[in-house]
Amino acid sequence: MATVADKPRLPRKRSRRERRNDGGSALSTYGLLAPTLLVLAAFFLLPLYYIFLFSVALKRFSPTEALAALNGELNGFSGELWGNLVSWNVDVAVLGLDFAIPAVLIGVVLIVLLVLTVAGGRLSERHGTWIVGIAFALLLMPFLTIPAGNSLLRIMQFTSEGIQLNLFFKSVTMAMTSSVIAVIVAIPVAYFLAFCVQRSKYTWLLIVIAPFLTSYLLRVFAWKVILGDQGLINSGLMTIGIIDEPLTFLIYSQFTVMVVLTYAWVPFICLPIFLAFETIDRRLLEASMDLGATRWQAFRKITLPIAAPGVVAAFLFVFIPSIGEYVTPTLVGGVDGTMFGQNLASQFVGGSFNWQYGSAMALFLMGVVLILVFATSRFLRAGGGGL
Amino acid sequence: MREHMDRKGFLALSGATGLAAFLAACGGSSSSDSGSESVNEAQAEGVEAEEAAAAVAFDPATEPGGPIEIFTWAGYDNDPEAGAPWMWSQYEEGPYGTESPLKFTFLEDDGQALAKVASGYSPDITHPCIAYTVQWKEAGLIQPLDLNLLPDYDGIPAAINAGAIIEGQPYLLPFDVGFSCLTYDADAISFDNYGGEETWQVLLDEAYKGKMALFSDDVALIKIGHLINDSQAGVAPTDPNVLTTEQIAAAKETALKVKPNLRNYWTSQTDTVNDFLNGNLLATYTWPDGYWKIKNDEKMKDRNIKYMQPKEGRLAWVCGMVLSSSTKQPGRATMAMAASNTPQAGADLTDVFQYASAQQKGVMDLIQDKALISAFDIDKPEAWEPPNAWFEAPLPNYKEYITAGQEVKAA
Repeated sequence: MATVADKPRLPRKRSRRERRNDGGSALSTYGLLAPTLLVLAAFFLLPLYYIFLFSVALKRFSPTEALAALNGELNGFSGELWGNLVSWNVDVAVLGLDFAIPAVLIGVVLIVLLVLTVAGGRLSERHGTWIVGIAFALLLMPFLTIPAGNSLLRIMQFTSEGIQLNLFFKSVTMAMTSSVIAVIVAIPVAYFLAFCVQRSKYTWLLIVIAPFLTSYLLRVFAWKVILGDQGLINSGLMTIGIIDEPLTFLIYSQFTVMVVLTYAWVPFICLPIFLAFETIDRRLLEASMDLGATRWQAFRKITLPIAAPGVVAAFLFVFIPSIGEYVTPTLVGGVDGTMFGQNLASQFVGGSFNWQYGSAMALFLMGVVLILVFATSRFLRAGGGGL
Repeated sequence: MREHMDRKGFLALSGATGLAAFLAACGGSSSSDSGSESVNEAQAEGVEAEEAAAAVAFDPATEPGGPIEIFTWAGYDNDPEAGAPWMWSQYEEGPYGTESPLKFTFLEDDGQALAKVASGYSPDITHPCIAYTVQWKEAGLIQPLDLNLLPDYDGIPAAINAGAIIEGQPYLLPFDVGFSCLTYDADAISFDNYGGEETWQVLLDEAYKGKMALFSDDVALIKIGHLINDSQAGVAPTDPNVLTTEQIAAAKETALKVKPNLRNYWTSQTDTVNDFLNGNLLATYTWPDGYWKIKNDEKMKDRNIKYMQPKEGRLAWVCGMVLSSSTKQPGRATMAMAASNTPQAGADLTDVFQYASAQQKGVMDLIQDKALISAFDIDKPEAWEPPNAWFEAPLPNYKEYITAGQEVKAA
C-alpha cells in the first residue's frame, strides 16, 4: 500500500509574496549588473561602433570639411586601404627554408588549428589532450622566437611583402614570445609563494609586485641604464674579460622590447597564477603522493590542470596589451623594434592623418585578439578543460 | 526562489544593453551631426573672425582674461633656470601678465601637434614649424596676426618669413631658426672614402653600423634620403622640400638602406645626447643645442666633436607661433607672441639654446656668448642658403613624405 511518502510530490504553488520576492531578486541582480553593462556600453561598445563606422567611411570624426580633409576622412570607403592590411602571399620560412604560400591557405590552416585547439578534445577521448596540445603548439610556433642576440632564432616564421602585415607578424611574435616567457618565469614564483612559503605569504606577494609601485616609464628607463653599451651588463662583462666590445643588441632592438615587456608583466601575472595555485586542495596532492605519484606527476596531473585557467588568463593579460604596445618599442625598440601599435597610433596622433586607416588597423588588431581569446577560452574554464 | 541570474537572463540583459548602446550610438550620430552643425557654425564664426582680423585690430583691453595656453616644444616655457630675461618676460611683466597668465603644454613634433589640435585640443598659441603653416591654415585652426600688436615684426627678414605668409596674411610669427644635422666624433668617423668631404652618405657606411642615429621624423628621413640620392648620382643637391612622387619613392629606398646602420630613431634629443655621451653612438642627428651639449660635456673633452657641414647641405628649420582661431584672447595672446619677437628674446634664444633667431634687428649685439655666433654661422647669411642649408618650407605633398617615412620605420 502506497504511503503518503511514496506519493509523487507535486510542485507546491508559490505564494504571491514569493513570486514578488523572486521578481525583486532578479531586479536587484539586474540592478547590480547595470553599472557594469553601462560602462561596457559606454567605453567599449560605443567606441567600437564608431571605430567601425570610421573604418568604412560611414562616419567621420572631424566636425568641419577642412578638418575632415586634413584627417583623410573625405576619401570615401577604400577597399584598397583595407587591402593594405593583408597580402595575397605570405612567405613561410621553416628552419631557414623559404616557401611562398597563398595567404588564404595560411588562413585556412590557422583556422583548422584553431578549431582543433578548441574542439580537438572531442575527437578522441584517449588522444584528445595530445591533439589539442599539438594544434595549439603549431598555432603558436610561427609566432615564437628565442631572443638570441641580433638574429632572432626562429623555427618557423611568417613574413609578407605587405608592410602592415609584416609589421603585424613581427608584433605578434614579440608579444607572444614575451607572454610565454613571462608565464614561464611567473609560474615558479607563484608556485613558490603558494606552496613553499608558510608565513607572511602576502608580504612576499607584495614584495613580488613591488615594481608596480613605481612608474612604468621609470622602469623602462632603468632598463636603458642596465642594457646600454656602458650599462651594468656590458660593463660587467667587459670588466671580467668575457667580451671586448659592448653587446650592441642589448639595447634598441626587438630583444630589448621583449625583455622589457616580459619584466614589466611578470609581477602582474604572478597574481592570477598564485590565486589559481591557492585554490588547489592540498589533500589532492597528498592523495596522489600516497598513490605513488612523483612530484612531477602530481604537478602535471593535478596542479597544472587545476591552475590552467589562471595560467591562460595570465598569458592573455600579457599578450593583449603587448600586441598593441606603443610606449616600450618607442623608448627601447630601435630601428627593428617598431610594433603595429606605433603605426596604428601614428594614424591618429603621429601626423599620418588617416583616421579611416587607423580605425581599420584597430579593428584588425581587435579581431585577432578575439580569435586568440576564443582559442584559449577552452582552457579558461575551471578545471582547465582537460589539459 | 531564483538566487542568481541564469545564462539566459544574462544574455537577454546583455543583448538589451547592446541594443541600447546601438540605439544610443545611432542617436549619438544624429546628436553628433547636430554637434557638427554647431561646430560648423563656430567655424563659420571663426572664418568671419578671420576676415575681421584682417580689418579690425584685436583689443586686448576688452578680452575676458584667464590663462593663455601655449602648446610648445619642451624648454620654451618660462623656466627660471633657462636664464633671465627669457622669451616671455616682456608679456609677463606687462599689463596682462597677471590677469591672463601663461600656461604651457608640450608637443613632441609637428605632426603630433597638428593631429592633436585637429582632434579637438585648442591652445591659444601653438609653436609649429613653418612647413606646416598651410595645413594649419587650411584646416581652419589658425587666424591671421594683428601686426599692430607686433612692434618688432619688421625685424624678421623676408626670406625667413616667406612661408609664414599665406594669401598676403601673416599666419605664423617666426621665432627660432636652426640647423638639423649630424653631430659626430671626428676621431672615430672618417670621410676619407668620400674625398675628405663631409656627406650624408656616411649614413650608408657599414663601418659605423649600429653607431648612428636619426630623428624619428618621417619628413626628415625622406629629405636625407633624397640628398644622399643626389650626391650618389653626382648631381648638385636639389630642394628636398618639393620632391615628386618618384623622388620620394627613391628617397624611401635609400632611407631603407640607411636603416640597418642605425641604432635607433630617437624621439627625444636628450636621449640621443645621453646615448652619445655614454659611448653608444658616434654620430647622431641633432639640433645645435644637442651638438653644443655633447661638445662641451666633460666626457667628450678629449674627443673631436664636430657638427657636420655636408656637401649636400644641412637641413634647417624655422618655427614660430600661430594664433588659434578659437582663442578668446587673440589680442593678449598676440602680445605674448610679441614678447618672443623682441631682439632680447632672440639673443636669449642663442645664449640659451644656441639657435639663431628669426628676429635679426640688433640681436647680434645682445648675444652674450659671441663664440656662438661664429660656431653656428649666425651672422653669415650664405650659411643658411642652398646648397649650404635647406630651410623647411611648406611641403606640397606632405602626406606622401609622411607615408614614405612611416613605411621606412615600419619595414
